[in-house]
Amino acid sequence: MTGPEDGKGEASSAPPHFPDADDGPVDLSDIRPEDGVVLVFFWVLAGVVFLQFFSRYVLNDSIGWTEEIARYLLITVTFVGATLAVRKNSHIAVEFFYRYLPGPWGRAFSTLVDLLRIGFFGAATWITAKLALKTNQKMASIEMGKDVVYWLVFAAFLMMTLYALRLGWRHWRQGYSLLTRPGERQLID
Amino acid sequence: MLLTLLFVLVFLLLILGVPVAIALGLSSLVFVLLSGSPPDLVVIHRMVNGVDSFPLLAVPFFILAGNLMNTAGITNRIFDFAKACVGWMRGGLGHVNVGASVVFAGMSGAAVADAGGLGTIEIKAMRDAGYDPDFSVGVTAASSTIGPIIPPSLPMVIYGVVASSSIGQLFAAGFIPGLMMAVALMVMVAWYARVRNYPRDARFSWGNLLASFKRAFLSLLTPVIIVGGILGGIFTPTEAAIAASAYALVLGVAVYRTLTPRRLLRVSFDTIETTAVVMFIVAAASIFAWILTSNRVTEHFADLILAVTENPILILLMINVILLVVGCFMETIAAITILVPVLLPIVVKLGIDPVHFGVIMVLNLMIGLLTPPVGMVIYVLSRVSGVPFERCVSATAPFLIPLVVVLLLVTFVPQLSMFLPTLLYR
Repeated sequence: MTGPEDGKGEASSAPPHFPDADDGPVDLSDIRPEDGVVLVFFWVLAGVVFLQFFSRYVLNDSIGWTEEIARYLLITVTFVGATLAVRKNSHIAVEFFYRYLPGPWGRAFSTLVDLLRIGFFGAATWITAKLALKTNQKMASIEMGKDVVYWLVFAAFLMMTLYALRLGWRHWRQGYSLLTRPGERQLID
Repeated sequence: MLLTLLFVLVFLLLILGVPVAIALGLSSLVFVLLSGSPPDLVVIHRMVNGVDSFPLLAVPFFILAGNLMNTAGITNRIFDFAKACVGWMRGGLGHVNVGASVVFAGMSGAAVADAGGLGTIEIKAMRDAGYDPDFSVGVTAASSTIGPIIPPSLPMVIYGVVASSSIGQLFAAGFIPGLMMAVALMVMVAWYARVRNYPRDARFSWGNLLASFKRAFLSLLTPVIIVGGILGGIFTPTEAAIAASAYALVLGVAVYRTLTPRRLLRVSFDTIETTAVVMFIVAAASIFAWILTSNRVTEHFADLILAVTENPILILLMINVILLVVGCFMETIAAITILVPVLLPIVVKLGIDPVHFGVIMVLNLMIGLLTPPVGMVIYVLSRVSGVPFERCVSATAPFLIPLVVVLLLVTFVPQLSMFLPTLLYR
């Protein structure tokens, strides 16, 4: 219940999170134990890609399975990593028009955004489960079903749905969201 | 008609502030459900397929390399080196700003990383030296767009995958246009410096130059590894990315000793988050693009454009205008994934090389990063500098002139982009 009213404030502008030079202690407060999963996937991916690179240059003979496995790991890192971005609400969105919206409208629209987010992830979870159940192909290079990848994507969408629910609930209780009060957001390009 | 609904829906969702990836995914899902013909499974299937690509592996590792570089204190060294090189000119720090961006562009593929990492140092230095904030923000914003033009470049990787053209050639093609942007911006800085009588910030000395070069030497090897390795045909882009990450890791852990385990953890999570955000947009945009292609929207659009005129110069101008407008409203990665299937057939029909068009497209979208409502770079700089958003927009506006001049040159003089790829690869 921190919240004053309108949607235009330049509130809470902590500088965005950039891994910058050697100053100060490292802030890891946004990391949760469950993020360990994607961390492991990411470094295994790095290891596999490095192995591919190393085997091609040094051993002059690239190891066959690395390419396929690397692609599957990239899919996994994408979707499981996206759960982290849902929790932190750092998926890129256009907050521009909220600057010019009167408070109550901003509140109404940002609540609608929360609902749409929950709806999309919920539907995606459901559809991914159906897709995984229908998949019975095998991977080309190792003895494993391709549905494993889809089940990982399913788990990721399920987490995203749960995080989206929590995010929506939190926005509802505190009365504002990142849209109506742009604070920290990590950006790319 | 359903397709009209699709466009209206995605536009409304974006304006409403639904995250870009969700807006694309949700509107595609609604379209598929309403049209009824392909089963809804296709939505997830296309999303997963959209990121199932070996060349896309360059994305996480260029992001990792850039993050590792920022952490290892390398940005500071580059800034000092650039200061020793061009700081003696009138309006020195303005030139330093552009120069440092050029060097940083050789290790980072994202304009926003440039603005957020290097930009923080640049704006602080310029403020301390007494430059007015508008000028500092304008130069920093404009020069950060050089990043994705000079290799490596995330947008070029995405373009290469979607257009199935060689990422190596695209990287080579961006090199000269990137340097031209730097020259154009430095001309602008020089003009400002004369009109406003800016100071010279450092005296030139060989000793100073040598000292800062020594300090920056190991860092400066990174762009050499990446750019040289790719242009020299030694590395594929993905290999260059992993090699640069490994090099940066060794540099940070063993040489500079700035990379503690906690910092490495921070870098890992920042990399994962940025990768996921980028790739999730690629995934969602590829369903959208698939709908456009399978419903022949792309063909109709081509016919429409070619019905208006068949003059290549006019068509290129039209496409530039379309891209600039889209760049204002749409996030770069999504715009590339969706628009390449729409625009590429047209330009290929006109005899324009897809590699040349890649440079045109990315340059257009980079200019879009500097304009509202989706001006990512401006948002970052507004937060970094504390200058209000609206003022950042107007401060950056004059610097769009040199960038648009370069854009026109790059559009109508294909040799600027094609000289290096032809020399190296064909």
